[in-house]
Amino acid sequence: MSRDSEAWLDAPGTWRGLVMMLPVAAFTVAFGLAFGVAAVHHGLADWEAMLLSTLVFSAPSQFAALDMWHSPMPLLALATVTVAIHTRHMLMSAALYPWLHSLGRGRQFAMVLLMSDSNWAMALGQYHRGERNLGILLGSGIALWGAWILGTLVGVTFGGGIDQPERYGLDVIMFCFFLMMLFGGRPRLVMAMPWLAAALAALAAYRWLPPYLHIMVGGLAGGMVAVVIPRHGAGEPAR
Amino acid sequence: MSSPPLWQALLAIGLLAVIAYGSRVLGLLVMSKVPLGPKVQRFVDAMSTSVLIAIVAPLIVYGDGGARLAALATTLVAILWRSPLLAIGLGMMAAAAWRWWLQAA
Repeated sequence: MSRDSEAWLDAPGTWRGLVMMLPVAAFTVAFGLAFGVAAVHHGLADWEAMLLSTLVFSAPSQFAALDMWHSPMPLLALATVTVAIHTRHMLMSAALYPWLHSLGRGRQFAMVLLMSDSNWAMALGQYHRGERNLGILLGSGIALWGAWILGTLVGVTFGGGIDQPERYGLDVIMFCFFLMMLFGGRPRLVMAMPWLAAALAALAAYRWLPPYLHIMVGGLAGGMVAVVIPRHGAGEPAR
Repeated sequence: MSSPPLWQALLAIGLLAVIAYGSRVLGLLVMSKVPLGPKVQRFVDAMSTSVLIAIVAPLIVYGDGGARLAALATTLVAILWRSPLLAIGLGMMAAAAWRWWLQAA
């Protein structure tokens, strides 16, 4: 362990992270329910759906897998699609590295176990505001994980309830949450160019590259533009 | 279509789990090889929010009217009141209302 305690983990922090994520977790239950219902409709056994939600803990790749859940299982196609979907998680955990780097490797790996899109966005936003307690990341992950599993359980148990989640606006939850993370914390002007580059690159990739890669392409483009453009004004120290 | 045999289902679930967790670990492993200078910090800093931009941009451009209305409602509420619950709630209601209206029309 390094001497500068740039990061720590404790129970009150974990509880705080859990409570902060509860509003989103409530929606996640509904989303998990939609997955459970869809899984049953696709002929998955209850335990298969539950095991997926518990171990994979990722809505897009689980939904994508449902379409390939027949015999014989197209394992190569399944793996390819899943890798493409998860390229963004590589960038997301990389973005957490400055926060985690003082920990030992085992602890670093443990901290990203429950990292998913929403709690990553929330925790990183807190980190930029000076938060160093890793409980925020872990606690919010526990809230989402629990909600996802609970939702799936309700979905597979009480089957045919919701079969068109988009009619109730359930499909825009994550989307709205991300917009909230982007524009609710006073967006910084220096991000204008990187964000523009990210949007354009993502749109181009969405159109012309294989599915799911646009998120990584956009993220990398935004990062590169931030390194390349000179920083002047806006009170940013020039170094 | 018939259900896959047990061993295939288990193999698939294992495969998904390994990829899902492996990608998270891989990001850390790559970063541990890169020295954390100011340039890398700036890259990572901009990349982290650009990922979110990259997720929402195609949904706004190629999404339906409901998604666009939801984006508008959420962004306005986020900027004006900064309440996540209100922003997401109104976004969902906007999307649902748009789609109800389309069905009724």
